[in-house]
Amino acid sequence: MMQNLTYQGIPIWRHVQVIQWVSQIVSGILVVLLVAWFFINIGSAVADRNIPYGFSFLMRGYQTPIGQHFLPYESSDTFQYALFVAFTNTLVVSIIGVILATALGIVVGVARMSSNWLVAKIATAYVEFFRNVPLLVQLFFWFYILLALPPVREGYVFVANIFVNNAGVSVPFPSPVSGGTALVWLVLAGASIAIGFFVHRILARREELTGKVSYPVIYGCVVAISGGAIAWIAVMLAAGAAPFVISIPAPQGNFGRIEGGFTASAGLLALMVGLVIYTSSFIAEIVRAGIQSVNRGQTEAARALGLGPMETLRNVTFPQALRVIIPPMISQYLNLTKNSSLAGAIGYSDLTNVAKTMTQTAPAVSIFILIMLSYLALSLAYSLIGNLYNRHIKFAGG
Amino acid sequence: MALNNAPSSGQLPPARYEAGVAEWMRENLFSSWFNGALTVASSVIVLLAAWFGLGWVFTTADWTVIVTIGGGFFIGQYNTELACPGQECFWRPQAGLLLVTLLLGMVWGIVGGVGKKVALSVAVVSAVLAFLPYDLESMGLDVRILLLANLPAVFAGYALVRYTSLITAQRVITFGVIVFLLILVLLRGIPGVPGLQPVSVVSWGGLMLNLLLAVAGIVLSLPIGIALALGRRSNLPIVKLLCVVFIEIFRGVPLITLLFMSQVLVPLAFPEDFPQNSVFRAAIIITLFSSAYMAENIRGGLQALSRGQVEAARALGLAGWQTTLLIELPQAIRNVIPAIVGQFIALFKDTSLVYIIGMLDVVEIGRAFIQGNPEYLGNARELFIFLAIVFWIFTYSMSYVSGRIEQHMGVGSR
Repeated sequence: MMQNLTYQGIPIWRHVQVIQWVSQIVSGILVVLLVAWFFINIGSAVADRNIPYGFSFLMRGYQTPIGQHFLPYESSDTFQYALFVAFTNTLVVSIIGVILATALGIVVGVARMSSNWLVAKIATAYVEFFRNVPLLVQLFFWFYILLALPPVREGYVFVANIFVNNAGVSVPFPSPVSGGTALVWLVLAGASIAIGFFVHRILARREELTGKVSYPVIYGCVVAISGGAIAWIAVMLAAGAAPFVISIPAPQGNFGRIEGGFTASAGLLALMVGLVIYTSSFIAEIVRAGIQSVNRGQTEAARALGLGPMETLRNVTFPQALRVIIPPMISQYLNLTKNSSLAGAIGYSDLTNVAKTMTQTAPAVSIFILIMLSYLALSLAYSLIGNLYNRHIKFAGG
Repeated sequence: MALNNAPSSGQLPPARYEAGVAEWMRENLFSSWFNGALTVASSVIVLLAAWFGLGWVFTTADWTVIVTIGGGFFIGQYNTELACPGQECFWRPQAGLLLVTLLLGMVWGIVGGVGKKVALSVAVVSAVLAFLPYDLESMGLDVRILLLANLPAVFAGYALVRYTSLITAQRVITFGVIVFLLILVLLRGIPGVPGLQPVSVVSWGGLMLNLLLAVAGIVLSLPIGIALALGRRSNLPIVKLLCVVFIEIFRGVPLITLLFMSQVLVPLAFPEDFPQNSVFRAAIIITLFSSAYMAENIRGGLQALSRGQVEAARALGLAGWQTTLLIELPQAIRNVIPAIVGQFIALFKDTSLVYIIGMLDVVEIGRAFIQGNPEYLGNARELFIFLAIVFWIFTYSMSYVSGRIEQHMGVGSR
């Protein structure tokens, strides 16, 4: 009789937290089981068909040439080094592409909001066209235009030293005389640039606090450039030779191969042009949205204070718009980096393309893990830099 | 909407600004010397581009490459002797198109406005295709009639909605799903049925493949994306962890890498007798990839929602799932329609990446053709300009429709 009166609480199987935890644990176990099942299947397939596995392949020779590369590379180098070379190929495209796409995107985005009707319409057409056509089609378009150029022997030559032909574009480029001195100079030059930045910052702060005109940009540049020049002379005196000489491309022999200088292959050029134009159309939209997000009163106040349209944009509107612009901009930078994986279609050896070739002679699972980690590392690096910059401008603006 | 814009009694709308051509030009083109210089410079560029561009299009350019590939752009190698012995399969994609126009006619009947434009333009373009100078031999008269039938089909769909009570909005959605599955069956064929001989999915290609992958991806990635977004916001740690890992992996790696690796790894990850094919695999990878991005868009919409909405719903006594489904999600999705449509457009453009697993989509059909026939190598420009325009028409109409939906739902104005 007493039993009916005592309150025994909710039965355990109807308790919200119990239900939640049980369902979570069950779903977690299911996912783990599924993944485990995949791996068991892969394991047995690997064992049955004698497919290589593990990471020991990294030390083996890759034995395959890589078309364009920015680090010295021989076919006899290891898989590990080949992957690193491919990673730098992606990295170079990504960094140069980000810089150019940002510059072009800002110009187009500002042009789209121009009070000049014609300029605004041209910029709108640019954005609406390049944004809506698949990157692959654009890459093929540029690539086949470059391939349609005459062969090396009949190629165009500009100012005697720039060669344009269907193998790409060759330009004079500084090349290190010896690795050691070049590295020393690069480190010293980097240090002097850092000092230049430091000087710029101190002077800028003084100008801000005291109102005294201190020319931070000019002094900063002078310090950085003179530091680099002094380092150059010092290295030259110490080693007896300049750290870099300008290597000039020149056609060799009857086949017309071009040696020396820097040759950007047709694939690299098409990739660069395609990626920059495609991404800049997205960046233009981000810039436009950012500028439009700034209160109209800000522009009107700036104009009322007598600032011209360009000054208003540079000193009032744009700094405020930056806060809205930065986060989506970072994701565009990541998109550019990931989109550079289309390089394989036009014969440029980026990370994905080299990895694809590698799967023919090395375990695919291991390569996939390495590729995933590489792209993840790139994403994290960009996010980190972007977030730091974002915090910086947030604080600067108060 | 209409109420908001109507002037209240006693107030007149502002006088319309009217200016002559000269005044307009002075204000919009020559307001300052800098603007004037810009105008002159850009008009010179535009005129030069138009002069040389049009000259190239009409004189130098050789468009025979487009005509030579012809039907291949639409169906790839579907009707080749290898894929379909007897080459009697051309009518099947065309019949599928007919079903689609019928469906679009129904949508027109229900939505009106923008639905009318889309339905009529698809029907007219399909009907015009019947008059293109194809090889009659490979095309067949019946196919021309099927293409022409798109015009009556669109009106039939419209009439079914308008003049009978058979079709309601819900039934159109059901009918849409049925049409999609029917098209898949029609294209794949049924063994043993005369006229429906099986065609391997490896031979599916052209614009048909792009559209099938895009439609499957669009329809499936939205619900999966919503589930992932809710999972990522949930306070259940294990569910949240699983969703975050899934989203970040799929967002961190390029689609092309995922597609390629799926080709290499997925066959190993399932038992050997597990039925699989490359189209199916590509569709799943594209859908999952897109849903990871979709999840982030929807999460953005959910985060932007004011907390008051949830609190009010809970105060009214709605359960947790009711709050989510009836209060939060509808508002969140409405607010991020531009981002969602942007993702759909990206998905459609991304279907061109299936070349990496050897599928012949509309881009790869063209590229493989000029690679295989070097005499057309010089016409690559014409080919890729044509492909760019084809894609542009689809993606631009998508963003146009999205703009109209936004207007209709009053995004940004309430």
